Amino acid sequence: MAQWVEACGVDDVELEGVIRFDQGERTFAVYRSPDGEFYCTDGLCTHEAVHLADGFVMDYEIECPKHSGAFDYRTGAAKRLPPCVNLRTYPARVQNRRVLIEVA
Amino acid sequence: MNDLQFGKRNKRGDWAPSAPAETAPVFVFPPQPLAFLKWLPGYFLPYNLLFAVLTLVWWRWVLPDVETMKTFAWGWILRLFIVNCVAVFLFYGAFELRLYVFRAQGTRFKYNGKWPAEQRSKAFFFERQNVDNMMRAFGTGLPIWTAIEVVILHAFATGAVRWLTFAENPWYLGFLALIVPIIHETHFFLLHRAIHWGPLYRWVHSVHHNSVNPSPWSSLSMHPVEQLGYLGVAFWHLVIPSNPILALYQLHFAGFGAIPGHVGFDKVELATDTAVDSHAYIHYLHHKYFEVNYGDGMIPFDKWFGTWHDGSPEGEARMNARYEKLKARANAAQAAG
Repeated sequence: MAQWVEACGVDDVELEGVIRFDQGERTFAVYRSPDGEFYCTDGLCTHEAVHLADGFVMDYEIECPKHSGAFDYRTGAAKRLPPCVNLRTYPARVQNRRVLIEVA
Repeated sequence: MNDLQFGKRNKRGDWAPSAPAETAPVFVFPPQPLAFLKWLPGYFLPYNLLFAVLTLVWWRWVLPDVETMKTFAWGWILRLFIVNCVAVFLFYGAFELRLYVFRAQGTRFKYNGKWPAEQRSKAFFFERQNVDNMMRAFGTGLPIWTAIEVVILHAFATGAVRWLTFAENPWYLGFLALIVPIIHETHFFLLHRAIHWGPLYRWVHSVHHNSVNPSPWSSLSMHPVEQLGYLGVAFWHLVIPSNPILALYQLHFAGFGAIPGHVGFDKVELATDTAVDSHAYIHYLHHKYFEVNYGDGMIPFDKWFGTWHDGSPEGEARMNARYEKLKARANAAQAAG
Protein backbone atom coordinates (compact mmCIF):
# COMPACT_ATOMS: atom_id res chain seq x y z
CA MET A 1 0.00 0.00 0.00
CA ALA A 2 1.29 3.43 -0.93
CA GLN A 3 2.28 5.76 1.88
CA TRP A 4 3.52 9.31 2.13
CA VAL A 5 6.87 9.66 3.83
CA GLU A 6 8.83 12.75 4.75
CA ALA A 7 11.96 12.98 2.61
CA CYS A 8 13.44 16.38 3.53
CA GLY A 9 12.74 20.00 4.19
CA VAL A 10 11.93 22.46 1.41
CA ASP A 11 15.14 24.36 2.04
CA ASP A 12 17.28 21.24 1.95
CA VAL A 13 17.17 21.23 -1.85
CA GLU A 14 18.36 24.15 -3.92
CA LEU A 15 16.53 25.29 -7.03
CA GLU A 16 17.78 23.03 -9.82
CA GLY A 17 19.13 20.74 -7.15
CA VAL A 18 18.84 17.15 -6.04
CA ILE A 19 19.37 15.25 -2.82
CA ARG A 20 19.46 11.59 -1.92
CA PHE A 21 16.82 10.09 0.34
CA ASP A 22 17.11 6.54 1.69
CA GLN A 23 14.32 4.56 3.23
CA GLY A 24 15.09 1.06 4.40
CA GLU A 25 16.97 -0.59 1.57
CA ARG A 26 15.54 1.74 -1.03
CA THR A 27 17.12 4.90 -2.30
CA PHE A 28 15.45 7.87 -4.00
CA ALA A 29 16.45 11.15 -5.58
CA VAL A 30 14.41 14.23 -4.69
CA TYR A 31 14.62 17.17 -7.10
CA ARG A 32 13.63 20.80 -6.99
CA SER A 33 12.95 22.22 -10.43
CA PRO A 34 13.81 25.76 -11.59
CA ASP A 35 10.20 26.79 -10.85
CA GLY A 36 10.36 25.39 -7.31
CA GLU A 37 8.34 22.20 -7.83
CA PHE A 38 9.47 18.98 -6.18
CA TYR A 39 9.83 15.62 -7.92
CA CYS A 40 11.07 12.20 -6.91
CA THR A 41 12.56 9.28 -8.82
CA ASP A 42 14.39 6.08 -8.03
CA GLY A 43 17.81 7.06 -6.77
CA LEU A 44 19.97 4.88 -9.00
CA CYS A 45 20.72 5.27 -12.69
CA THR A 46 19.12 2.47 -14.71
CA HIS A 47 22.42 1.97 -16.51
CA GLU A 48 24.98 1.17 -13.83
CA ALA A 49 23.23 1.77 -10.50
CA VAL A 50 25.08 4.96 -9.66
CA HIS A 51 23.45 7.46 -7.27
CA LEU A 52 21.86 10.18 -9.35
CA ALA A 53 21.97 12.57 -6.41
CA ASP A 54 25.70 12.93 -7.13
CA GLY A 55 24.81 14.14 -10.61
CA PHE A 56 24.05 17.47 -12.16
CA VAL A 57 20.57 19.01 -12.52
CA MET A 58 19.97 21.36 -15.39
CA ASP A 59 16.44 22.57 -16.09
CA TYR A 60 14.33 19.42 -15.89
CA GLU A 61 17.10 16.91 -16.48
CA ILE A 62 19.35 15.00 -14.14
CA GLU A 63 22.70 13.96 -15.57
CA CYS A 64 24.25 10.80 -14.16
CA PRO A 65 27.69 11.49 -12.68
CA LYS A 66 29.27 8.37 -14.15
CA HIS A 67 28.53 8.38 -17.87
CA SER A 68 26.51 11.58 -18.30
CA GLY A 69 23.36 9.71 -19.23
CA ALA A 70 20.35 11.94 -18.64
CA PHE A 71 16.74 11.62 -17.48
CA ASP A 72 13.77 13.95 -17.34
CA TYR A 73 13.10 13.75 -13.62
CA ARG A 74 9.48 14.85 -14.07
CA THR A 75 8.58 11.78 -16.13
CA GLY A 76 11.55 9.49 -15.53
CA ALA A 77 12.15 9.29 -19.28
CA ALA A 78 15.70 8.45 -20.29
CA LYS A 79 16.96 11.32 -22.45
CA ARG A 80 20.51 10.41 -23.36
CA LEU A 81 22.58 7.25 -23.66
CA PRO A 82 23.86 5.09 -22.14
CA PRO A 83 20.68 4.49 -20.09
CA CYS A 84 17.77 3.25 -22.16
CA VAL A 85 15.39 2.19 -19.39
CA ASN A 86 13.28 4.94 -17.83
CA LEU A 87 13.44 5.83 -14.15
CA ARG A 88 10.48 5.11 -11.93
CA THR A 89 8.90 8.28 -10.55
CA TYR A 90 6.98 8.92 -7.33
CA PRO A 91 4.48 11.67 -6.45
CA ALA A 92 5.91 14.45 -4.29
CA ARG A 93 4.19 17.26 -2.41
CA VAL A 94 5.00 19.91 0.16
CA GLN A 95 3.28 20.09 3.51
CA ASN A 96 4.33 22.47 6.28
CA ARG A 97 7.56 23.13 4.42
CA ARG A 98 8.42 19.46 4.44
CA VAL A 99 8.72 17.44 1.22
CA LEU A 100 6.68 14.24 1.21
CA ILE A 101 6.96 11.48 -1.33
CA GLU A 102 4.52 8.69 -1.96
CA VAL A 103 6.35 5.39 -2.02
CA ALA A 104 4.66 2.24 -3.12
CA MET B 1 40.99 34.56 -28.01
CA ASN B 2 37.28 35.02 -27.51
CA ASP B 3 35.83 31.55 -27.94
CA LEU B 4 32.30 32.96 -28.10
CA GLN B 5 33.13 34.30 -31.56
CA PHE B 6 33.47 30.68 -32.67
CA GLY B 7 30.78 28.98 -30.63
CA LYS B 8 28.55 29.18 -27.60
CA ARG B 9 28.63 28.07 -23.98
CA ASN B 10 25.61 26.56 -22.28
CA LYS B 11 24.38 26.97 -18.74
CA ARG B 12 26.51 24.04 -17.64
CA GLY B 13 29.66 25.70 -18.96
CA ASP B 14 30.10 23.39 -21.95
CA TRP B 15 31.36 25.07 -25.10
CA ALA B 16 30.30 23.94 -28.57
CA PRO B 17 31.40 25.26 -31.95
CA SER B 18 28.87 27.18 -34.04
CA ALA B 19 29.86 25.45 -37.23
CA PRO B 20 28.82 21.81 -37.51
CA ALA B 21 31.59 19.22 -37.77
CA GLU B 22 32.37 18.11 -41.30
CA THR B 23 33.82 15.02 -42.87
CA ALA B 24 36.82 15.44 -45.14
CA PRO B 25 35.99 16.34 -48.77
CA VAL B 26 37.72 13.21 -50.04
CA PHE B 27 35.16 10.47 -50.43
CA VAL B 28 32.44 12.67 -51.86
CA PHE B 29 30.44 12.61 -55.04
CA PRO B 30 30.51 14.72 -57.08
CA PRO B 31 34.17 15.48 -56.32
CA GLN B 32 34.94 18.82 -54.68
CA PRO B 33 38.42 19.71 -55.94
CA LEU B 34 38.55 23.19 -54.40
CA ALA B 35 37.38 21.97 -51.02
CA PHE B 36 39.87 19.11 -51.28
CA LEU B 37 42.77 21.47 -52.01
CA LYS B 38 41.75 23.66 -49.08
CA TRP B 39 41.58 20.62 -46.81
CA LEU B 40 44.82 19.00 -48.01
CA PRO B 41 47.37 20.96 -45.92
CA GLY B 42 45.49 19.93 -42.78
CA TYR B 43 45.92 16.32 -43.81
CA PHE B 44 49.66 16.70 -43.25
CA LEU B 45 49.89 19.53 -40.75
CA PRO B 46 50.54 19.47 -37.97
CA TYR B 47 49.94 15.93 -36.76
CA ASN B 48 50.69 13.59 -39.67
CA LEU B 49 53.97 15.30 -40.43
CA LEU B 50 54.93 15.22 -36.77
CA PHE B 51 54.19 11.49 -36.50
CA ALA B 52 56.16 10.83 -39.71
CA VAL B 53 59.13 12.78 -38.34
CA LEU B 54 58.93 10.89 -35.04
CA THR B 55 58.99 7.65 -37.02
CA LEU B 56 62.17 8.67 -38.81
CA VAL B 57 63.72 9.70 -35.49
CA TRP B 58 62.92 6.25 -34.09
CA TRP B 59 64.32 4.55 -37.15
CA ARG B 60 67.52 6.55 -37.07
CA TRP B 61 68.25 6.89 -33.37
CA VAL B 62 66.11 4.55 -31.30
CA LEU B 63 65.89 1.23 -33.08
CA PRO B 64 68.85 -1.13 -33.18
CA ASP B 65 70.34 -2.49 -36.40
CA VAL B 66 68.53 -5.20 -38.32
CA GLU B 67 70.85 -7.97 -37.07
CA THR B 68 69.93 -7.14 -33.46
CA MET B 69 66.22 -7.18 -34.27
CA LYS B 70 66.52 -10.76 -35.49
CA THR B 71 66.56 -11.98 -31.91
CA PHE B 72 64.24 -11.23 -29.02
CA ALA B 73 66.75 -9.89 -26.50
CA TRP B 74 65.83 -7.92 -23.39
CA GLY B 75 68.42 -5.19 -24.07
CA TRP B 76 66.97 -3.56 -27.15
CA ILE B 77 63.36 -4.37 -26.25
CA LEU B 78 63.65 -2.76 -22.82
CA ARG B 79 65.39 0.27 -24.31
CA LEU B 80 62.60 0.63 -26.86
CA PHE B 81 59.98 0.32 -24.13
CA ILE B 82 61.63 3.01 -22.03
CA VAL B 83 61.97 5.38 -24.98
CA ASN B 84 58.31 4.83 -25.91
CA CYS B 85 57.25 5.52 -22.33
CA VAL B 86 59.32 8.69 -22.12
CA ALA B 87 58.04 9.89 -25.50
CA VAL B 88 54.41 9.32 -24.58
CA PHE B 89 54.93 10.91 -21.19
CA LEU B 90 56.43 14.00 -22.82
CA PHE B 91 53.97 14.21 -25.73
CA TYR B 92 50.75 13.53 -23.82
CA GLY B 93 52.15 15.33 -20.81
CA ALA B 94 52.80 18.50 -22.79
CA PHE B 95 49.09 18.78 -23.62
CA GLU B 96 48.10 17.82 -20.09
CA LEU B 97 50.50 20.28 -18.48
CA ARG B 98 49.52 23.23 -20.62
CA LEU B 99 45.77 22.68 -20.85
CA TYR B 100 44.85 20.86 -17.63
CA VAL B 101 47.55 21.62 -15.05
CA PHE B 102 48.49 25.22 -15.90
CA ARG B 103 45.07 25.71 -17.54
CA ALA B 104 46.80 28.13 -19.86
CA GLN B 105 43.65 28.96 -21.80
CA GLY B 106 41.15 28.35 -19.00
CA THR B 107 37.95 26.83 -20.36
CA ARG B 108 38.18 28.69 -23.65
CA PHE B 109 37.19 26.22 -26.41
CA LYS B 110 36.74 23.47 -23.78
CA TYR B 111 33.86 21.18 -24.71
CA ASN B 112 33.10 20.07 -21.17
CA GLY B 113 33.07 22.92 -18.69
CA LYS B 114 34.20 20.71 -15.82
CA TRP B 115 37.76 19.65 -15.07
CA PRO B 116 38.37 15.90 -14.72
CA ALA B 117 40.66 16.48 -11.72
CA GLU B 118 37.73 18.02 -9.82
CA GLN B 119 35.34 15.17 -10.47
CA ARG B 120 35.98 12.08 -8.39
CA SER B 121 34.25 8.97 -9.67
CA LYS B 122 34.11 5.36 -8.59
CA ALA B 123 34.50 4.46 -12.26
CA PHE B 124 38.24 5.10 -11.89
CA PHE B 125 41.10 3.57 -9.95
CA PHE B 126 41.43 5.63 -6.75
CA GLU B 127 38.38 7.58 -8.00
CA ARG B 128 40.69 9.80 -10.06
CA GLN B 129 40.48 9.93 -13.82
CA ASN B 130 44.07 10.98 -14.44
CA VAL B 131 45.56 8.38 -12.13
CA ASP B 132 43.38 5.68 -13.68
CA ASN B 133 44.12 6.81 -17.24
CA MET B 134 47.87 6.95 -16.68
CA MET B 135 47.92 3.56 -14.96
CA ARG B 136 46.17 2.03 -17.95
CA ALA B 137 48.34 3.83 -20.50
CA PHE B 138 51.65 2.89 -18.89
CA GLY B 139 50.57 -0.34 -17.19
CA THR B 140 49.24 -2.12 -20.26
CA GLY B 141 49.17 0.35 -23.16
CA LEU B 142 52.88 0.94 -23.54
CA PRO B 143 53.89 -2.71 -23.00
CA ILE B 144 51.40 -3.73 -25.71
CA TRP B 145 52.55 -0.90 -27.97
CA THR B 146 56.17 -2.02 -27.59
CA ALA B 147 55.31 -5.71 -28.01
CA ILE B 148 53.56 -4.98 -31.31
CA GLU B 149 56.53 -2.93 -32.43
CA VAL B 150 58.98 -5.68 -31.52
CA VAL B 151 56.98 -8.41 -33.27
CA ILE B 152 56.71 -6.36 -36.46
CA LEU B 153 60.38 -5.37 -36.52
CA HIS B 154 61.42 -8.95 -35.81
CA ALA B 155 59.21 -10.23 -38.63
CA PHE B 156 60.79 -7.86 -41.14
CA ALA B 157 64.32 -8.43 -39.84
CA THR B 158 64.10 -12.21 -40.06
CA GLY B 159 62.47 -12.16 -43.48
CA ALA B 160 59.26 -13.69 -42.17
CA VAL B 161 57.50 -11.05 -44.26
CA ARG B 162 58.67 -9.37 -47.43
CA TRP B 163 60.60 -6.12 -46.91
CA LEU B 164 60.01 -3.73 -49.79
CA THR B 165 62.65 -1.02 -50.16
CA PHE B 166 62.00 2.62 -50.98
CA ALA B 167 64.73 2.48 -53.62
CA GLU B 168 62.95 -0.24 -55.57
CA ASN B 169 59.33 0.69 -54.82
CA PRO B 170 59.25 4.47 -54.40
CA TRP B 171 55.79 5.04 -55.90
CA TYR B 172 54.07 2.15 -54.19
CA LEU B 173 55.56 2.86 -50.77
CA GLY B 174 55.00 6.59 -51.23
CA PHE B 175 51.34 5.86 -51.91
CA LEU B 176 51.19 3.52 -48.92
CA ALA B 177 52.66 6.25 -46.71
CA LEU B 178 49.98 8.64 -47.93
CA ILE B 179 47.15 6.27 -47.08
CA VAL B 180 48.38 5.38 -43.59
CA PRO B 181 45.64 7.64 -42.11
CA ILE B 182 43.05 5.91 -44.31
CA ILE B 183 44.17 2.46 -43.15
CA HIS B 184 44.01 3.77 -39.60
CA GLU B 185 40.50 5.16 -39.93
CA THR B 186 39.15 2.02 -41.61
CA HIS B 187 40.68 -0.25 -38.99
CA PHE B 188 39.54 2.03 -36.18
CA PHE B 189 35.97 2.24 -37.44
CA LEU B 190 35.60 -1.53 -37.82
CA LEU B 191 37.18 -2.26 -34.44
CA HIS B 192 35.23 0.49 -32.74
CA ARG B 193 31.94 -0.66 -34.21
CA ALA B 194 32.66 -4.22 -33.05
CA ILE B 195 33.49 -3.26 -29.47
CA HIS B 196 30.25 -1.33 -29.18
CA TRP B 197 28.40 -4.63 -29.48
CA GLY B 198 26.76 -5.27 -26.07
CA PRO B 199 28.93 -7.98 -24.49
CA LEU B 200 32.18 -6.58 -25.91
CA TYR B 201 31.19 -3.11 -24.83
CA ARG B 202 30.58 -4.18 -21.26
CA TRP B 203 33.72 -6.30 -21.07
CA VAL B 204 36.15 -4.18 -23.06
CA HIS B 205 35.15 -0.77 -24.34
CA SER B 206 33.32 0.53 -21.27
CA VAL B 207 36.74 1.12 -19.72
CA HIS B 208 37.54 3.76 -22.32
CA HIS B 209 34.08 5.28 -22.06
CA ASN B 210 34.47 5.84 -18.34
CA SER B 211 36.23 9.02 -19.44
CA VAL B 212 33.10 10.91 -20.42
CA ASN B 213 35.06 14.12 -20.07
CA PRO B 214 38.20 12.99 -21.91
CA SER B 215 41.58 14.57 -21.39
CA PRO B 216 44.98 13.76 -22.93
CA TRP B 217 45.66 10.77 -20.68
CA SER B 218 42.33 9.25 -21.72
CA SER B 219 43.78 8.64 -25.18
CA LEU B 220 45.25 5.23 -24.42
CA SER B 221 43.16 4.49 -21.36
CA MET B 222 41.59 1.30 -22.62
CA HIS B 223 41.10 -2.32 -21.70
CA PRO B 224 44.18 -4.31 -22.82
CA VAL B 225 42.10 -6.10 -25.44
CA GLU B 226 41.15 -2.76 -26.96
CA GLN B 227 44.74 -1.53 -26.75
CA LEU B 228 45.86 -4.61 -28.65
CA GLY B 229 43.15 -4.17 -31.26
CA TYR B 230 43.68 -0.44 -31.61
CA LEU B 231 47.48 -0.40 -31.79
CA GLY B 232 47.39 -3.67 -33.74
CA VAL B 233 46.51 -1.63 -36.81
CA ALA B 234 50.25 -1.77 -37.53
CA PHE B 235 49.96 -5.52 -38.12
CA TRP B 236 48.33 -4.73 -41.48
CA HIS B 237 51.85 -4.05 -42.71
CA LEU B 238 52.64 -7.71 -42.20
CA VAL B 239 49.72 -8.56 -44.46
CA ILE B 240 50.12 -6.03 -47.22
CA PRO B 241 53.57 -5.73 -48.84
CA SER B 242 55.29 -2.94 -46.94
CA ASN B 243 58.35 -1.61 -45.22
CA PRO B 244 59.07 -1.54 -41.46
CA ILE B 245 59.30 2.24 -41.45
CA LEU B 246 55.72 2.44 -42.66
CA ALA B 247 54.62 -0.13 -40.11
CA LEU B 248 56.27 2.01 -37.44
CA TYR B 249 54.58 5.12 -38.86
CA GLN B 250 51.23 3.32 -38.70
CA LEU B 251 51.88 2.45 -35.05
CA HIS B 252 52.94 5.98 -34.18
CA PHE B 253 49.92 7.34 -36.00
CA ALA B 254 47.69 5.26 -33.74
CA GLY B 255 49.63 5.73 -30.51
CA PHE B 256 50.61 9.38 -30.63
CA GLY B 257 47.66 10.18 -32.85
CA ALA B 258 45.15 9.22 -30.20
CA ILE B 259 45.79 12.58 -28.55
CA PRO B 260 43.93 14.96 -30.89
CA GLY B 261 40.60 13.19 -30.40
CA HIS B 262 40.84 13.30 -26.62
CA VAL B 263 42.37 16.68 -25.96
CA GLY B 264 39.00 18.07 -24.83
CA PHE B 265 39.48 21.46 -26.47
CA ASP B 266 38.35 22.52 -29.93
CA LYS B 267 41.35 24.78 -30.39
CA VAL B 268 44.70 24.82 -28.67
CA GLU B 269 45.83 28.40 -28.29
CA LEU B 270 49.44 29.07 -29.23
CA ALA B 271 49.43 32.85 -28.87
CA THR B 272 46.92 35.62 -28.24
CA ASP B 273 45.43 35.40 -31.72
CA THR B 274 46.72 32.05 -32.90
CA ALA B 275 45.26 28.62 -32.29
CA VAL B 276 45.50 25.15 -33.81
CA ASP B 277 42.34 23.19 -34.53
CA SER B 278 42.33 19.96 -32.58
CA HIS B 279 39.76 18.18 -34.81
CA ALA B 280 38.52 16.64 -31.57
CA TYR B 281 34.84 17.55 -31.79
CA ILE B 282 33.72 14.48 -33.74
CA HIS B 283 35.26 12.09 -31.24
CA TYR B 284 34.21 14.23 -28.28
CA LEU B 285 30.59 13.82 -29.43
CA HIS B 286 31.18 10.07 -29.46
CA HIS B 287 32.36 10.18 -25.84
CA LYS B 288 29.37 12.31 -24.92
CA TYR B 289 26.64 10.46 -26.79
CA PHE B 290 28.14 6.96 -27.14
CA GLU B 291 26.37 5.70 -30.25
CA VAL B 292 27.42 8.34 -32.77
CA ASN B 293 30.64 8.98 -34.67
CA TYR B 294 32.41 5.64 -34.54
CA GLY B 295 34.92 7.02 -37.03
CA ASP B 296 36.98 10.20 -36.98
CA GLY B 297 35.36 11.80 -40.01
CA MET B 298 38.06 11.55 -42.62
CA ILE B 299 36.15 8.76 -44.33
CA PRO B 300 32.39 9.35 -43.98
CA PHE B 301 31.68 5.88 -42.55
CA ASP B 302 29.21 7.31 -40.05
CA LYS B 303 27.29 9.09 -42.79
CA TRP B 304 27.15 5.87 -44.78
CA PHE B 305 25.94 3.84 -41.80
CA GLY B 306 23.59 6.44 -40.30
CA THR B 307 25.49 7.22 -37.11
CA TRP B 308 26.84 10.65 -38.03
CA HIS B 309 26.44 13.52 -35.57
CA ASP B 310 27.90 16.88 -36.53
CA GLY B 311 26.80 18.70 -33.38
CA SER B 312 23.93 20.48 -35.17
CA PRO B 313 20.25 20.38 -34.10
CA GLU B 314 19.60 18.16 -37.15
CA GLY B 315 22.29 15.74 -36.02
CA GLU B 316 20.80 15.77 -32.55
CA ALA B 317 17.34 15.02 -33.96
CA ARG B 318 18.64 12.07 -35.99
CA MET B 319 20.40 10.70 -32.93
CA ASN B 320 17.32 11.14 -30.77
CA ALA B 321 15.14 9.32 -33.30
CA ARG B 322 17.48 6.32 -33.12
CA TYR B 323 17.57 6.61 -29.34
CA GLU B 324 13.76 6.58 -29.06
CA LYS B 325 13.66 3.24 -30.93
CA LEU B 326 16.36 1.83 -28.67
CA LYS B 327 14.50 3.02 -25.59
CA ALA B 328 11.19 1.60 -26.75
CA ARG B 329 12.79 -1.84 -27.10
CA ALA B 330 14.60 -1.61 -23.75
CA ASN B 331 11.55 -0.41 -21.82
CA ALA B 332 9.31 -3.04 -23.44
CA ALA B 333 11.81 -5.72 -22.42
CA GLN B 334 11.93 -4.28 -18.90
CA ALA B 335 8.14 -4.29 -18.63
CA ALA B 336 7.93 -7.87 -19.95
CA GLY B 337 10.69 -9.10 -17.65
